[in-house]
Amino acid sequence: MNQVSMTSALSTGQTSVAGASITAQAITKTYGEGPAAFHALGPIDLDIKPGEFVSLIGPSGCGKSTTLLLASGLEPLSSGTLEVDGKPLTRPLSEVGIVFQDHLLLDFRTALDNVMLQQEIRGLDKAVIRERADMLFDRLGLKGAQKKYPRQLSGGMRQRVSIARALVHDPSMLLMDEPFGALDAITRTQIRHDLEMLWLETRKTVLFITHSIEEAVGLSDRVLVMSTSPGRIIEEIKIDLPRPRPAHLGEYPEFSAYAEKIYSIFAKLGVYKF
Amino acid sequence: MSEQALSTPQTERSPLWYRLDRLRSSFAGSAVLGLLAIAALLGLWEWLATLYNVPLWLVPKPSNFLGRLVSDWQMIGGHAIATSITIVEGFALGVLIAVPLALAIAAIPALERGLYPVIVFLNIMPKTVIGPILIVWFGIGPLVAALIVFLMCFFPILVDAMSGFKAVDKRLFYISRTMGANEWQSFWKFRLPAAMPHIFSGMKIGVVKAVEGVIVAEFIASNRGLGFMVMQASAFMDISLMFAGLVAAAIVALFFNGAMSVAERVLMPWSRAGH
Repeated sequence: MNQVSMTSALSTGQTSVAGASITAQAITKTYGEGPAAFHALGPIDLDIKPGEFVSLIGPSGCGKSTTLLLASGLEPLSSGTLEVDGKPLTRPLSEVGIVFQDHLLLDFRTALDNVMLQQEIRGLDKAVIRERADMLFDRLGLKGAQKKYPRQLSGGMRQRVSIARALVHDPSMLLMDEPFGALDAITRTQIRHDLEMLWLETRKTVLFITHSIEEAVGLSDRVLVMSTSPGRIIEEIKIDLPRPRPAHLGEYPEFSAYAEKIYSIFAKLGVYKF
Repeated sequence: MSEQALSTPQTERSPLWYRLDRLRSSFAGSAVLGLLAIAALLGLWEWLATLYNVPLWLVPKPSNFLGRLVSDWQMIGGHAIATSITIVEGFALGVLIAVPLALAIAAIPALERGLYPVIVFLNIMPKTVIGPILIVWFGIGPLVAALIVFLMCFFPILVDAMSGFKAVDKRLFYISRTMGANEWQSFWKFRLPAAMPHIFSGMKIGVVKAVEGVIVAEFIASNRGLGFMVMQASAFMDISLMFAGLVAAAIVALFFNGAMSVAERVLMPWSRAGH
């Protein structure tokens, strides 16, 4: 209890660890009922520490997105227990920002108004959030894009606005479902770095879903490798590389070792058919 | 000649052509050119009708029916206003019923399965057939015309609004729920605006149907409006008034289509923002 209040007190400040913890035991997800039921996930365990950057990587259909929806309370568990900051999760988490593969910005709002939607719906202080929005626009390379509509921005810029929207209310957790999947390689590398720098400063707990080994190793403290039918975690890899990590990860021999390890797991799973 | 025109570079075109081209590409310019073309056509018509001495009761000269538009402006204007009110009533009723119904159908799958056959049947049925039935129920008057207009514009709005509400990305709901949005906020801030472009394209088709339908509805079921006026003029063989009614109906249609464009620009400024 004591620790809970401490964490939430920190989450509003600028201290080094402001994230929430996620603890899941034997959680599963089954869609539908009876003979048509589809067992999508689990049972899996998660133990994500405050301020940790954790990636889920695995082939399509391994339940990565389902894990994220369960961890945020957006979809109910079929079985198991899930606690966020030590408290059982019974409804959608609100101390959270979420970014999907598509920017999902509202066409009818300018970039800034899309971000300020968090303030409008949550009823937060307008001046404070506006200041934070401007700070995030600066940090994410969106200077001067405030008044533009999403269709006036490039794909990378839209995704940056989407990240600003997920962070503007200073949540304790950031959930990202293949956020860079639709971007070109150069933009992806840049935005990966920008996200890392922002994370180093704020230390939110990040649950990051990706198909890309480079992104997983380039960003994470820990990579959870998942496998299909039903989705489960089959390997946990701690990434022990200095931060901030460089654009060209090949600089580290350790990077190749980590990448090699994930490739070999995928090969064992038969993800690649060469 | 054409070869020469082709080989002449753009910059060396004569200033007159250049200016005409500029004129054509600007909005005011295209309006001016359009008016000039219409004026030329009417002038030709006037000239030919005078030249061949066409009798007035067969084909009136532009000066006849445009003159009627001026001399009878109070009577024609009154009918035009009646027609406009009928359009507004029918169209507003259509929007007010179609949009909430579309939301309900999109939200409740059972409702869609149950109502869809009925909707398809009513949509495929020629709407004017219902006119005589409505006359029995409500008597001849603008109310019946408004109901026919409603039936005509209801379905395109319903169908487009439904596809608009259905097209809203599920992940947008996830985002709205992490924000803690309640049902009302999620409707006003996410669903309705996201569906607006679809609803608007339905409303644009609806307005076209409404201005088309209103005249027919007034032919059969009203004692006011431009359709009624034209029918009456026909009974008296007053052909110049019939042509004046035609021009007035076109003006009413133009007005409503223009109003839709303005409404779209005001309500959805994002759809016009350039790159």
